[in-house]
Amino acid sequence: MSRLSERPGEVIDRTRPMDFSWNGKPYRGYAGDSIASALAASGVRVFSRSFKYHRPRGILTASFHDPNLMVQVGDEPNVRAGHRLVEEKMEVSAQNAWPSLGFDAKGVNRLLGRFLTPGFYYKTFMSPRSLWPWYQRVLARFAAGGVVGVDPQPGRYDHRYAHPDVLVAGGGPAGMAAAIDAAEAGAAVILVEEEHRLGGHLRWGDSDDLGALEELSAAVLSHPGIEVMVDSVVTGRYDHNWVAIAQRGVEGVDERLVKARVKCLVVATGTIERPYVFEGNDLPGVMLSTAVRRLINLHAVRPGERAVVLSANGPGDSAIADLEEAGVEVAEVIDARGDDTVIKASGRMGVQGVIDSRGRRHDADLLVTAVGWTTTTTLLNMAGDRPMYEPRAARYLSKSLPYDVLATGGIVGDGSTDQLVQHGTAIGREAARRASVVKFQWLTAVPTGVTRQPPDTSEIEVPPLEAERHPELFRSSTHGFVDYSEDVTSKDLFAAAAEGYDSMELAKRYTTVNMGPIQGKLEAVNAVAIHGEATGSSPLETSTTTWRPPYAPVSLGVLAGRQYEPVRYSVIQPWHERREAKPLVAGSWIRPEHYGDPVAEVTAVREAVGIIDVSPLGKIDLRGRDVPKLLEFVYVNKWSKLDVGKVRYGIMCNEDGVIFDDGVTGRLGADQYMMSSTSGGAAGVWNWLDDWLQTGFPDWDVKMTAVTDGYASINVAGPNSRELVGRLTEIDLRPEAFGYMEVRTGVVAGVPGCFLWRIGFTGELSYEIHVPSAYGLWVWERLLEKGEDLGVRAFGIEAQRIMRLEKGHFIVGQDTDGLTQGHGMGVDWAIKLDKPDFAGKPELMWQAERDDYRRLAAIQTEDPAIVPPEASQIVAGDVIKGRITSSRMSPTLGRSICLGQVDPDLAAPGSRLHIRLSDGVTVAARVLEHHAHFDPEGTRLRG
Amino acid sequence: MLVILCPHCGPRNSDEFSFQGEIVARPGPASDQETWRDYLYMRDNVAGWQTERWFHVSGCRRFLNVERHTVTNEIGVVTPVGGVQ
Amino acid sequence: MNQKARFSAWGLFKRGLTRSHWPRVWDHHELRDSYDVVIVGGGVHGLATAYYLARNHGITNVAVVEKSYIGSGGSGRNTAIVRSNYLTPEGSKFYDRSVELYEHLAADLNFNVMFEQRGHMTLAHSDSSLRTMRWRAEVNKLQGIDSSVIGPEEIKSLAPFLDTSDHPRYPILGALWHPPGGIVRHDAVVWGYARAAAALGVHIHQGTELTGIEVESGRVAVAQTSRGDIATSTIVNCTAGWASLVAKMAGVRLPIITRPLQAAVTEPVRQFLHPVVVSGSLHTYVSQTARGELVFGASVDPFASYSTRGSLEFATGLATHVLELMPAISKMRMLRQWAGLCDMTPDFGPIIGPTPVDGFYVDVGWGTYGFKAGPVAGESVAEMVANGRPGSLIEPFGLERFHAGTLTAEKGAAAVGH
Repeated sequence: MSRLSERPGEVIDRTRPMDFSWNGKPYRGYAGDSIASALAASGVRVFSRSFKYHRPRGILTASFHDPNLMVQVGDEPNVRAGHRLVEEKMEVSAQNAWPSLGFDAKGVNRLLGRFLTPGFYYKTFMSPRSLWPWYQRVLARFAAGGVVGVDPQPGRYDHRYAHPDVLVAGGGPAGMAAAIDAAEAGAAVILVEEEHRLGGHLRWGDSDDLGALEELSAAVLSHPGIEVMVDSVVTGRYDHNWVAIAQRGVEGVDERLVKARVKCLVVATGTIERPYVFEGNDLPGVMLSTAVRRLINLHAVRPGERAVVLSANGPGDSAIADLEEAGVEVAEVIDARGDDTVIKASGRMGVQGVIDSRGRRHDADLLVTAVGWTTTTTLLNMAGDRPMYEPRAARYLSKSLPYDVLATGGIVGDGSTDQLVQHGTAIGREAARRASVVKFQWLTAVPTGVTRQPPDTSEIEVPPLEAERHPELFRSSTHGFVDYSEDVTSKDLFAAAAEGYDSMELAKRYTTVNMGPIQGKLEAVNAVAIHGEATGSSPLETSTTTWRPPYAPVSLGVLAGRQYEPVRYSVIQPWHERREAKPLVAGSWIRPEHYGDPVAEVTAVREAVGIIDVSPLGKIDLRGRDVPKLLEFVYVNKWSKLDVGKVRYGIMCNEDGVIFDDGVTGRLGADQYMMSSTSGGAAGVWNWLDDWLQTGFPDWDVKMTAVTDGYASINVAGPNSRELVGRLTEIDLRPEAFGYMEVRTGVVAGVPGCFLWRIGFTGELSYEIHVPSAYGLWVWERLLEKGEDLGVRAFGIEAQRIMRLEKGHFIVGQDTDGLTQGHGMGVDWAIKLDKPDFAGKPELMWQAERDDYRRLAAIQTEDPAIVPPEASQIVAGDVIKGRITSSRMSPTLGRSICLGQVDPDLAAPGSRLHIRLSDGVTVAARVLEHHAHFDPEGTRLRG
Repeated sequence: MLVILCPHCGPRNSDEFSFQGEIVARPGPASDQETWRDYLYMRDNVAGWQTERWFHVSGCRRFLNVERHTVTNEIGVVTPVGGVQ
Repeated sequence: MNQKARFSAWGLFKRGLTRSHWPRVWDHHELRDSYDVVIVGGGVHGLATAYYLARNHGITNVAVVEKSYIGSGGSGRNTAIVRSNYLTPEGSKFYDRSVELYEHLAADLNFNVMFEQRGHMTLAHSDSSLRTMRWRAEVNKLQGIDSSVIGPEEIKSLAPFLDTSDHPRYPILGALWHPPGGIVRHDAVVWGYARAAAALGVHIHQGTELTGIEVESGRVAVAQTSRGDIATSTIVNCTAGWASLVAKMAGVRLPIITRPLQAAVTEPVRQFLHPVVVSGSLHTYVSQTARGELVFGASVDPFASYSTRGSLEFATGLATHVLELMPAISKMRMLRQWAGLCDMTPDFGPIIGPTPVDGFYVDVGWGTYGFKAGPVAGESVAEMVANGRPGSLIEPFGLERFHAGTLTAEKGAAAVGH
């Protein structure tokens, strides 16, 4: 193979040479060359070794879908060398060959081929079982494909949303015509083309084709209503015309995923030329007619010296002319429209001779086949179409499409350039019209008071585009490769059918035909036909395999886009950062776990005063006459008599009686309440209330606003907290004026609109201050400043967890699980079964009648130094009797403390338990009388 | 990603909504166990058209009754619970 | 199975030399007027049930009716992961028996199902999920199951591509490590059971759809199919995603919602990932097949559907999560995505047992765990059908639990904060 003199339609820029390497050796191509064309121009013939038999493989289609042209480019595996343009300093190497392409040690498999029948691995390696792991390692060594490196590769990816009226997939003549006329009709159009340039088959055509191409592409590129994306692939059409495009060649990123909600999709993806199955059909030098036309006319590469051509169609005949023009000697033309065909290609590392059906042998280094076309119906299938095989045209054709999908071009039928353009034109106009119908539906979905002109409902007439008669040519009288990427032969398909895998789906799964990187685009029709031959049915009776997205493989990078995971920070975060707080992931929040010494933080709170940022607490502002009814319904306890200024603790259960959240709600005014929830449950509680208010009790007068982000929340805890808070506010904090479980509103540190409630998760006297969030950091810093002499210290989640455990307060989701119903958590006093109704009431009623559920218990190990890890199991012999849900070393008590869920027979105070540690050792422990390990009377927090 | 024609917000992607499942009427709190647990757990799980509830959680926050074909995902009439607000 | 049909290296060699085909793995049969047992659904569960009915209980007048081809449902669409490190004693005991059956399945069926025990690693990204991992490990150890919590260093040595650096959002704090877990060739399991059941006389009717069930005085009488009626006293519903529809034919309502579960596979690359890696918080699981492809799975779709078309959001979400775990593989390409249907129950436990209709049994509600339970479910259902009552292994999973209010505790695990 060698470079030709200038060709009229060539896409290479001879003024811009590109130096790159192939398997470590320097090569030169031109800008516009694909990797494959640049190498072919320099005489490279073998590009890869096949997956199973390690046979040498060369150019087959010279396009994106060439199964033999998968190469490694730098750190990128499985690059399509028939498509990817060569770049300066590109490092390209062959995959799947060891030690080299010329000599591949695994090629020994070729000799073993007769034993490596389909599914051979299912039939052996079974005994002895002890050797199976060794077999696995051997099999794994035969994995195909390129290499990924362990170091993160830089890649820039992006996502974009698009809302075109019409999206045209395929930039051949029909697709271009459709885009132009849809745009002319006023539609916003996106035209997507897989290759680097528009034009489809016109690109490698004669001067008339090139002229038409020039005209159409100029019209497309200059039209303001059309956005053109080349080197881009429509990877999928999902429900409701949600279309994905992997777009390349965008400034600033390697690839971009465009997610388009398309009002009307036009599929103009054309056809793909089909290989022919015969002995030796995978030898380097056996090429499709489109491949040689691409090589000659686009890349000015002479594909061989002496050729045999097997042609069954016009484009195949045109290839003969191209070959002759390129100085290739055409040794023989075999006309497949008659009875003649090719029986065998022979040669070792490439074609050396061709034997035809008359038994003649022709010396040749190139065998060109033109035996038919496969319609690329992938997008149609994804739209619900079940294309039917049309024997007259020897290909599948569309059967029925949904309203918002149309098809044009080779996927529909054949014709001259003019006929294709006329069809595309009509389809484009119809697409624009249908888009306007969809748009009208969308715009009128919401009653706006605007009167809109209804769209034109008369369909545009589309001229017929008949598929040409074509002989059915799938396999010669010999056997050859059907799936090149998977090394599946026609003989394998016969074997599979004979063994009983006699539906196409089973045969596919058994032989792995169609399962490789080309996903059946080249081989599916041959596979179906040969399977039909093997089973005595015809392709008509045997449906094609399902086409699943993506249409072409798409990088994980572009699917992911910019890697980001949103997180939430409190407004006080700058201070936490300055103090190098250890971050703790809590749902979507990042919170300070501690500031270096959680034990010292506990001591500060117990002995002086501490402040903690509890801003993520869920907060819901509830107003209206019927708020008490709502509270009465969603909480298990009573709410009707909550006075203004009071706060109450409540538990929420699902309708199955399982606890899902807890928190306090305070009454700030006559018809004004503030509800708090756990941080993690904030969204769920909000939705839960909305659900009941809208679907259950729409008549209730309740206005609800989620204000979690509206307030920064700071809990001030410890014996000095009254003194500290008092320094910042005029609110009367004396115990008789502001008691435990009460709430006040007022000004704190000069900030109006705050509310404070006196509650005590830590077990200490404490005030939880809720500040309009813009002033959260200000108040936080004032507290630290004013409390310096009082020993104030910031504390994190860890210190809070220790203290709440000392106090015996449970955490929903940690000390409870997905089956924990209301009773048994030591809060039976709060479950009011005499209320007429509340969420989960019947289940709690029935639970109260039983005694088989686990109880929450405070537990202390007999050896105070042992802290059983959380989730340690409580056992009696081998029987599980409960588990430790929370455990810590208590700095206040100087011993280990736990909460746990315990079977009823072991839940009584004083019960002796056995806790199994992770090393299997069992330690003894006792159940305490109260949940609180510390200050069970609550004198500290009520002080 | 489906399009749901929200009667308040217009055509929106389905990821703005939270699927709530087939609509099940809540029996009274004095129901027997069989009735209550049917309500909690048993479902028709229709393969075809069903009226189901969606919550436009990232939009108008209204609960909607949506007709949907559970095989094709085609969407029919969408009505807010309790009428347009 | 006669000696000639037995698979072996020697057989491969001989047939290679003589270039002769193997005998058929299963035959086509006319539909009989009656069968002792009609199994609905030709997936792993249905075929395994048929096999164990024939092998363990001598019941061979059995039909498996499959509306499409065998393995066309969940059995051919799952990510082929096998493990037994469940949270509850009843769950882990049950799945442990399944792992044991899988370990001997190739020899038992004379069909290499390619069970590769590469180890199964469930990552913990928060201290609450680490707590759940510890919980599972402790329960597993008590059942004698190899399961423990490991730290980031060991994780890195087992799976060097995982990003164990100080990640802001999903740090890898530890993992539950379960060496006996691994991957299987799912189709091979289907075919192995089908071939072995067929050899014992079971009729496998592909392309045969159940269209109705006739119940006479509270008992199963006739199974109506697209190819004719079958008189039978026993019907077993093994239909995964379509379970509610089949049960409805017998007038039985189930606590099931059908949801698609999607999966995807990449182009092959050389081996770099040995164990199966799972992240619950990121709803992602990954393994590399012997062929070099990465197989990915995720959680069920956000809404109920009988559609298996798949979504773009699955693909984008999955890629985001996978790259969060293994940023180095961004240039690998997704080759194909697909979906299967899962029959989700309220407590994530299966429903396996008799129903109010005599002779109508269900083996459904497997949610996302059906494939790994196939062998043990088949063995247990066969035992139940033969004895007329469920054995101890499956007792906790009866349909009546939803009315009795004794849900299985796997729900406990699923609802514990991740």
